[in-house]
Amino acid sequence: MQIHKYDTVIVGAGGAGMRAAIEATKRSRTAVLTKLYPTRSHTGAAQGGMAAALANVEEDNWEWHTFDTIKGGDYLVDQDAAEILAKEAIDAVLDLEKMGLPFNRTPEGRIDQRRFGGHTRNHGEAAVRRSCYAADRTGHMILQTLYQNCVKEGVEFFNEFYVLDLLLAEVDGVKRTAGVVAYELATGEIHVFQAKAVIFASGGNGKFYKVTSNAHTLTGDGQAAAWRRGLPLEDMEFFQFHPTGIWRMGILLTEGARGEGGILRNKDGERFMERYAPVMKDLASRDVVSRAIYTEIREGRGCGPEGDHVYLDLTHLPPEQLDAKLPDITEFARTYLGIEPYTDPVPIQPTAHYAMGGIPTNVQGEVLTDNTTVVPGLYAAGEVACVSVHGANRLGTNSLLDINVFGRRSGIAAAEYAATHDFVELPENPDSLVVELVERMRDANGGERVTDIRKALQETMDANAMVFRTEQTLKQAVSDIAALKVRYKSISVQDKGKRYNTDLLEAVELGNLLDLAEVLAVSALARKESRGGHYREDYPTRDDVNFMRHTMAYREVGEDGEESIRLDYKPVVQTRYQPMERKY
Amino acid sequence: MSTTTVESKHSAALDAAETGDAHLITVTLRVRRFNPEVSDQVVWVDYEMQMDPKERVLDALHKIKWELDGTLTFRRSCAHGICGSDAMRINGRNRLACKTLLKDINPEKPITVEPIKGLTVLKDLVVDMEPFFQAFRDVMPFLVTKGNEPTRERLQSAEDRARFDDTTKCILCAACTSSCPVFWNDGQYFGPAAIVNAHRFIFDSRDEAGEQRLEILNDRDGVWRCRTTFNCTDACPRGIEVTKAIQEVKRALLTRRF
Amino acid sequence: MSAETHNPVDAADAADGGVTPFGPDNPAPFIEPPRARTKRTPRATRTNFEMYGWLFMRLSGIVLVVLVLGHLLIQLVLDGGVSKIGFAFVAGRWANPFWQLWDLAMLWLAMLHGANGLRTVINDYAERDVTRTWLKWLLYAATVFTVLLGTLVIFTFDPNIQ
Repeated sequence: MQIHKYDTVIVGAGGAGMRAAIEATKRSRTAVLTKLYPTRSHTGAAQGGMAAALANVEEDNWEWHTFDTIKGGDYLVDQDAAEILAKEAIDAVLDLEKMGLPFNRTPEGRIDQRRFGGHTRNHGEAAVRRSCYAADRTGHMILQTLYQNCVKEGVEFFNEFYVLDLLLAEVDGVKRTAGVVAYELATGEIHVFQAKAVIFASGGNGKFYKVTSNAHTLTGDGQAAAWRRGLPLEDMEFFQFHPTGIWRMGILLTEGARGEGGILRNKDGERFMERYAPVMKDLASRDVVSRAIYTEIREGRGCGPEGDHVYLDLTHLPPEQLDAKLPDITEFARTYLGIEPYTDPVPIQPTAHYAMGGIPTNVQGEVLTDNTTVVPGLYAAGEVACVSVHGANRLGTNSLLDINVFGRRSGIAAAEYAATHDFVELPENPDSLVVELVERMRDANGGERVTDIRKALQETMDANAMVFRTEQTLKQAVSDIAALKVRYKSISVQDKGKRYNTDLLEAVELGNLLDLAEVLAVSALARKESRGGHYREDYPTRDDVNFMRHTMAYREVGEDGEESIRLDYKPVVQTRYQPMERKY
Repeated sequence: MSTTTVESKHSAALDAAETGDAHLITVTLRVRRFNPEVSDQVVWVDYEMQMDPKERVLDALHKIKWELDGTLTFRRSCAHGICGSDAMRINGRNRLACKTLLKDINPEKPITVEPIKGLTVLKDLVVDMEPFFQAFRDVMPFLVTKGNEPTRERLQSAEDRARFDDTTKCILCAACTSSCPVFWNDGQYFGPAAIVNAHRFIFDSRDEAGEQRLEILNDRDGVWRCRTTFNCTDACPRGIEVTKAIQEVKRALLTRRF
Repeated sequence: MSAETHNPVDAADAADGGVTPFGPDNPAPFIEPPRARTKRTPRATRTNFEMYGWLFMRLSGIVLVVLVLGHLLIQLVLDGGVSKIGFAFVAGRWANPFWQLWDLAMLWLAMLHGANGLRTVINDYAERDVTRTWLKWLLYAATVFTVLLGTLVIFTFDPNIQ
C-alpha cells in the first residue's frame, strides 16, 4: 500500500473532472485519478452541442433557457440550480472558446448556434437556435480542449487508477472526507490518497442496459463507492432514453441531425411526430420522442421485417450540409450499417443514454448526506451527480453545459475548502475494504461467469425498466436483480494476475451495476406516476400532489448484515415557475 | 512461437449451432499474446468462434474475453471510434478494433491481432502510452494568446476555422504514430500525432505561439524526420490527412525562413 | 502442443515446457522498443540544421539530375560514346574551367547528398547510441576524405604528367 497526500483529489477525467481540475490546480495541490486515459472519457461521444443563450443568431435570453430546462425536466428540476445553469452557460461557452475550442462560426465570425430538442423561444413559442456546436463533435472538442488546458496548467494525472472506495472519518460526530482508495491497473497495487477535498466526476452508469449509447466503462463506479459508504442516491429512477440510437447497436446519432432538419418516419413514411408534438415535432424533448417511437413500434408501424425500428430521414438535406454539420454520424451509418445517408434513411431505435439521478449535491457541488446536511470536503459534478438541473428528463445539450458549469463550480469550491481546512486523519487500515474486495475477486472460483450475469441484468433492464414501465415489470426487475445478486456471490474470475487484470475489474464493475440497477428499480417501483423519463403505464399521468419530490434512496444494513434500500423524499426547489402541463 | 488451437468445447460454435444462427460464420482470431507474469516469450494463440460478419473485431475480442479466456487483455471504452482506446494492428495494419467490421478484412483467413508497434508491450494488446503522450505534451498543444481577453468570444471567420478543421478531429489513439517506420526504430521522433496536434494550433488564427511550436518541430526529432511514407494517413481512423498536415508544417517552416 | 488443457492460458504456459520462473510477483521483463521518448528527450538545439539538410537534399537532387545526366550523355553517348574516353579526353575537358567546375559541383553535391542520405538512414535504423555515433563518424571521415581527394585531383591535374 502506498499513501499519497493531496489537497484536492478528483476522481474521473472526463469533462466535469478536467473542468474541475483546471480550477483546482490553480488553487491547490491537485491529483486527478482516472481509470482511463483522460481523452478516453465518454464526454467525447457527445455530439450535438452545448446550450447557452448567447443570442448570436437570433433573440434569446437565459431566462427562456431556464424555463425550457425546468419544463424539459417535467418540473422536477430544482429551479435555483436551473437558473444558475442557464445564467452561467454564457460564460461557460465563452470560457471554452477562450481556451481554444473550435466552434463552428457564423458569417460574422461569432459562435454559430443551432436548434435542439426542447429549446424554445419565449416559453415554448417555437424552436430557438441555442446550441453552440462544433460540427457533430462538440463533446470531442470539449474533451480535447479541456485536456489541452490541463496540459497547459500542469494538472497531475494518475492514469489507469481505479477508485474503489471513499474514505469518510467521523470527527466530532460529523462525517468528513478523508480521501479515496485506488487500485492501480498496471501493477495491481493499492494506493491510498489522503485528501482534504474529493470531487467525484466519474460519469454515468448506463451499462446496465443492453441497447445503450454508453461506453463499456460507464459502470457507475463513483455512485457505487458513495452508496457503499452510506451516502444516498437521488432520483435514480429517471434515466434518459435517447430517441435516435443506431438500430440494435445503440450508437448515438445526435439530436442535431433533427436540429438540422432530419425527420423521423414510420414504415408508411409518415412524419409521425406531428401527431405527438404538433409545435416542436421531431424536436420535442427526448422522453416524448422516445415514447412516440416505441408507441409506433408497438402499434405495428415500425420498420423492417420485425417492425422493431423507425427511420431517421436525412435524404432531403443537401450532402454538403451533412458533410459540414454532421460528418461523424453519417460516417457511423456508413461504417456500422453500410447505409449511405445521402440517399437512404437510417434505422434507429431509442437507446439508454443518460442518468438524470446520482449523488445528491447542492449548487456548489457539495455532496448531501441527507436532504440538507453536506459532507464536508466531498463534491460531485457531471453525470455522477444530481444537482438537480435535469429533473425527470434532461434537455439535449444541457449535459455538456452541466459538466462545465458545475465542474468549474465544484473545482473552485473544493480547492477553497482545501485551503481553509486541514487533513482529516485516515481511518485505521484505510485500504481494508478494497484489499478484501480485490482479494475476494481474485480468488473467486464460484463458477458463475461475469458475462452471463451482466447479460441477464441487461436483458431484464431492457425488458422491464426501460421506456415503458409497470408495477409488474418493475417487480420482475427487482426480483431478477435480487436473484442475480445471489449468483454474483459465486462468480469466478479467470485472470489471477496483478498486471492489467481487467477481468477482475469487470467483475467489480458488475457489482456496481447490480447495486445501482437495484436502486433504479426500487425507486421506480415506488414512484407511482409518469414524469419525464419515468413512464408508468399503470399511472400514465403526472401526480404533483404525491410525487412532486425527489427520491432519496439509502442503503441500510441490518443487524444480521442483510442489505436493504430505504426510500425517502426531498422537496423540489421552486422559485418562479409553477408546474404546468407539458406540451410540445 | 507456438500456436494453440482452442478446443471446440470452449468455442462459441456450439452455442450458435443450438440457436440456429444461419448467418454466422466461423472466424479465427490469431492474437499475439504476452503476459510477463506467465512467460518472457510472446505467443500467438488462435481462437475460433462463430460471429456475424457485420460484427466488429472488438466484438470478437470481447467474445474471447467473456466466453473463452478471461485473461486476454486489451483497452476499450466507447466502442464506436470516438475514444481512441483500442488502436491495434489488425492483419498488419493499424486500425481501431471497434471500427473494423469482420466482413471487411477477409474473415475466411485467420485475422491477426497485435499490439501497436514502437511502444513497450505491457500485457497482450496493452502498450505503454506514456512516451506517446509525452510527445503530445512537448508540442505545446494548447491555445496561447497575448494581451487582454475580449469580453465576448474571439472572432474567427468560417474560412479561418476551416483551415485547421481536419486536425481537430484527432482522438490521440496513436494509430498513426505507431504505424510510422521512423517511429518504430526511433521513438524519440515526435511522430505524426504530435505534429497533427501542433498543426491544429499553428494554423488556428487565434493562436500566437505558432512560432514556438515551429521551433520545437524544427529540431532533430521534428518534422524533418518524416519520410512521407503515408502510413499515418492510411492508419488514421478519423480520416485525417496526416501526411499532408506534416507537409504543411514543413512548408510553414520553410516560408518562415525564406 | 497440448490443446486439451482447460484454458488457453495454461496452454500458452505449457508451450514453454510447463512451469516458468515467472509469476505475478516476479514478472518477466517487458520487451522494450528502442529509444522511447521521455520527459528529458527534447534537447532543443535551436538550429536550422535539419531544415537546411532537408532543403539541401531537394535542391541538390534537382541540380544533380542535370549534372549527372549531362555527364552521362557526354561520357557515354555523344561523339562515339565510351570508345572515345581516354587520358587525352579527360585532359582536354579539364583544360576548360567550365568542365572543371561541372565536375567539382557534381563531386561535392553527390557526396554531400549521399552522405546526408546515409546520415538519416543511420539515424533511422541504428538503434543504440554508440552504434550511431561510430557509424556517423565513419561516414563523415569517408566523405571528407573522398571530397578532399577529388577536389585535389580536379585542381592539381597536370595534363603533362609523365
